[in-house]
Amino acid sequence: MRRGLALLLLLVPLAACSGGGPEATPQQPVVLVSAAANLADVLPPLLESFRQRTGIPAQVNYGNTAQLAAQIERGAPVDLFLAADRQHVEQLARKGLVLADTLCVYARGKLVLWARPGSGLGLRSLEDLASPRVGRIAIANPDQAPYGAAARQALQRLGLWEALQPRIVIAENIQQALQYARSGNVDVAFTALSLVIDEDGERLEVPSRLYDPIEQALAVVKGSPREAAARRLADFLVGPESAAAWQRYGYERAGEGGR
Amino acid sequence: MLAALLVSLKVVGVATLVIAVFGTLLALLLARGRFPGRTLLELLLTLPLVLPPTVVGFFLLYLLGRGSPLREWLGLDLLFTWQGAAVAASLVGLPLMLQSARAAIAAVDPELEDAARTLGRSEPEVLLRVTLPLAHRGILAGLFLGTARALGEFGATLMVAGNIPGRTRTLPMVVYDAALSGDLATAAQVSLLLSGIAFLALAITRRLEQPSRR
Repeated sequence: MRRGLALLLLLVPLAACSGGGPEATPQQPVVLVSAAANLADVLPPLLESFRQRTGIPAQVNYGNTAQLAAQIERGAPVDLFLAADRQHVEQLARKGLVLADTLCVYARGKLVLWARPGSGLGLRSLEDLASPRVGRIAIANPDQAPYGAAARQALQRLGLWEALQPRIVIAENIQQALQYARSGNVDVAFTALSLVIDEDGERLEVPSRLYDPIEQALAVVKGSPREAAARRLADFLVGPESAAAWQRYGYERAGEGGR
Repeated sequence: MLAALLVSLKVVGVATLVIAVFGTLLALLLARGRFPGRTLLELLLTLPLVLPPTVVGFFLLYLLGRGSPLREWLGLDLLFTWQGAAVAASLVGLPLMLQSARAAIAAVDPELEDAARTLGRSEPEVLLRVTLPLAHRGILAGLFLGTARALGEFGATLMVAGNIPGRTRTLPMVVYDAALSGDLATAAQVSLLLSGIAFLALAITRRLEQPSRR
């Protein structure tokens, strides 16, 4: 057993030294982006085309918007923040932690109701949810996740929220809500169009008049040593070059007055 | 996935070293030391075992983040680095090491240590030649358990180090991302790998905990 310990102690420094990795050779400043998890599909192609145009590479830290904001508040070395809502970015701006002049809405999310292929629910409107044919309904946590709040608002406006309570399952976020529906643990899920745009299954877009716009805002983090590069990336993401990608992945472009 | 494996290896490597060194020293202190606040220290060090990892991560975010005196004092910026992830992994792995190592050291017969002292051995010699060798099975068992827990760390690491592919993204984060994005094949592969390693660590621990047949 003592040999085992010796072996372990020998391996440890080796593993620790093998570090370095891709960041070890910085020819270009790598922009670090903290992005809401719902951007996991749309962001990689956008960042790739940004890199081709400018030669500036970017890395992404995906996570939950509230957690990402807390990290920036504690001084995480993030250059650009792409949130799933407006409030968290505005809060950071009020505290002087992001550059207020860079704050803008970069996309609007669309809320959809989704059921897995072959569920045979034949959903035509949200009112169909009241039917006993539909079992459990997953939504993201309405107190934390913007799409969850939008789903609650839509159901409230239709007067269905109270009646559906026993059948509503709260997920941590929209990805998890979707996962519940994919795996058949619930019949339908409220999620983002961007997450199911390439996926088979039944899809019903929730009319936008039923919920307040889901505005996703961005801002450059104050004190970033790569501020110039981060500003260029922010401009690119709201610029005409990326409009097609946002639409392709199920987002609505931010309005003309966005910037 | 290979990148995440490398990050995990670095994180666990450093965490193992930290757990081995600090775990053994602290276990000695807790098992043999007589000082006020000993129970309090033990409880504090054991807390990460039962706290939600997100709470540990939240504390660490404040401890290592902007405006923290510790950060000023250390002059180190650990947020969003694999070293920060190693701190989180060490902290959650340490209690398992302490439990096992402390019990093993406490079980060493003090008369054997006294015998060595009457034969003229100095305290460090007693420690290295009597106490630690007699307790080595428990210490190693704790080290394997702690390392296995460090490898599986997710919640605290996510808060402190983020989830940056190639930099701080560890194997458990690959599982989380893959499961949420519907990539069940990747999630299953990595889950099996992690389960296999954890099983092995438990099996070794179990062997170590059995009374020696010698």
